[in-house]
Amino acid sequence: MAGPSGDRLIRVDMGNQTVTIEPFPDEWKMLGGRGLSAKILLAECDPQCDPLGPDNVLVIAPGVLAGTAAPTSGRISIGGKSPLTGGIKEANAGGNPGQDLMKLGYRAIIVKGQPADTDVTFALDVTAEGASVIENPGAKGMWNYALIDYLAESYSDKASFISIGPAGEMQMKGASVACTDQDARRPARHAARGGLGAVMGSKGLKYVSIEAGGSRVRQPAEKKDFAAMCKKYTKGYLDGPQMFKYGTSSITSVANMLNTFPYKNRTEGQSPDIKTLDGKNIVESFESRGGGMHNCLTGCIVQCSNIVHDADGNYKTSALEFETLTLLGSNCAIESWDDVADLDRLCDEVGLDTVETGAAIAIYMDSGKMKYGDAEGAKKLLAEIAEGTEVGLAIGNGADATGALTKHHRVPTVRGQALPAWDPRPLKATGLTYASGPMGADHTAGLIVNPGLPEEEWVRKSQEVQMVNAVCDSSGFCQFLQPTLDDIRAFYGAFYGEEISREQIGDQAWQILSDEWEFNERAGWTKIDPMPECIKKDPIGPANLVWDVSQELVSQVYERLEASEELFTSKAAG
Amino acid sequence: MPQVKIPPPYRGPTSGRALIEVPGTSIRECIEAVERECPGFGELVIDATGRLQKFVTLFINGDEVARDDLDAAVRSDDQIEVLAAIAGG
Repeated sequence: MAGPSGDRLIRVDMGNQTVTIEPFPDEWKMLGGRGLSAKILLAECDPQCDPLGPDNVLVIAPGVLAGTAAPTSGRISIGGKSPLTGGIKEANAGGNPGQDLMKLGYRAIIVKGQPADTDVTFALDVTAEGASVIENPGAKGMWNYALIDYLAESYSDKASFISIGPAGEMQMKGASVACTDQDARRPARHAARGGLGAVMGSKGLKYVSIEAGGSRVRQPAEKKDFAAMCKKYTKGYLDGPQMFKYGTSSITSVANMLNTFPYKNRTEGQSPDIKTLDGKNIVESFESRGGGMHNCLTGCIVQCSNIVHDADGNYKTSALEFETLTLLGSNCAIESWDDVADLDRLCDEVGLDTVETGAAIAIYMDSGKMKYGDAEGAKKLLAEIAEGTEVGLAIGNGADATGALTKHHRVPTVRGQALPAWDPRPLKATGLTYASGPMGADHTAGLIVNPGLPEEEWVRKSQEVQMVNAVCDSSGFCQFLQPTLDDIRAFYGAFYGEEISREQIGDQAWQILSDEWEFNERAGWTKIDPMPECIKKDPIGPANLVWDVSQELVSQVYERLEASEELFTSKAAG
Repeated sequence: MPQVKIPPPYRGPTSGRALIEVPGTSIRECIEAVERECPGFGELVIDATGRLQKFVTLFINGDEVARDDLDAAVRSDDQIEVLAAIAGG
């Protein structure tokens, strides 16, 4: 059964493993991804629930423009109550599941309940005809890459997959959700932050398969306008500097100069290993080892994803990003990018967030349980996660759990979630995003890399970027395409054949944040600055920077400011 | 005098200033002039070997400058824009 737009919702009850298909409400047609997830969670999930219990709700929702011809627009959001923060969480990923679900007209998958028998491994098969829960005992405990190879025997070569590794099955709070990429169908794109892989694991769901077959690209209401807009936008991007053509890893050295390349559990902002961790080494390796840049989802013009090979020319991992080089590299004083690539692959295999895991390992090292820079020891630790040892469980459950196990005092987390590489001490406006934002310490919710920004601009900038990113993460556009709210409302308008005003898109942005804040308030969050003591007291950089932003400024971000021109013309940044 | 447009990530050394007028007849001279006024800016744009940093792109009046053309001449009414690729991942 389809809604007025022809779109549908898939509801899954894992308590009895039944599926129903519902029409997608027309009033939600311009909500997708993060915004749709927030709307569903606020209406259908008790914010007080146990995040790993039957009452949590897992939402899988592609962006509004996924499945269309709009460039780089196929991202997919995973949402639920986070086992790390205890608040609402959305993490999004590239790969092709978002494109495929939307080509089939499925705007979201809503998973509730929990199977009585926790030993059974379930999967959800999605096709044009509908969806069904199946048992697949052979998939139990499999690492992500082996799982996709195994599934290739039973599904068509066009199918895409959303999966969890052993960390998710073991309901570890640092667990990620993997999506397969478009070319080699590798489970290399992860909705990583907030432990949503553990929520998927708590539902007994090992993977979702999507068979889109020969489904058509979604057709816009205004075909000529939409096609012209896609062409113009693509040309504009390709004629421009293409700032992400070598991926995010290429910014390591500038981040180091800006004192936001944390070293040794964030006790310093710069790493002496910058030369060996510099992303340019990865780009240079393409010539001798192979690998290169590619697009993780069909229709992407940014192509920021690197494919990293080992010294023998064999595939090692994808994508090795700035955040991973920082948290698993510099922050652990691991100096070789090649070792970080191994750790990245292990995290993708076991199904873990590299930020949370890197922060946890750094705490373990800082506590004296392991030497800083011990790359082989770190690799063994990651293998232990899959084995479920005491230390492995702590690392897999994230930075707070590792701090508790080691009784270590320096635990750089905000609301239970590890800080990303972008450090709030030199980047105060970004820190305001971490302190006030519904996603907690997640740079993708509103990154402002402007260390010279005057204090009177911090609140406005944080609020604006949070609003722009909330809509971007609802649209399906990748943040690296850097769309503005004006761009997004123009695409929505041409797709649905109606004018979308600045007021409407601004209201949508604020509504998404408001829905999420309301969920969090009901879950028990307060507006008190949650920045940890170590970030307030441990100085970094020559200017001895600490987090010294007032509570008054943190509180001001929650109050909507009058919209400026910049709100609509600022590029998404995460 | 030529103007140098500073990208947001590099406004730490410039104390938040976005546009700086400096004397200079080439791109390199202008960047060096900004460095004299705002220590720490120059190394963000030009590396220790005198080449343009990999993560920086330069424009003169909106036209991209070739990476090996740091000594290109600039006129007094030209605007040099520094673009820096900075985002998460």
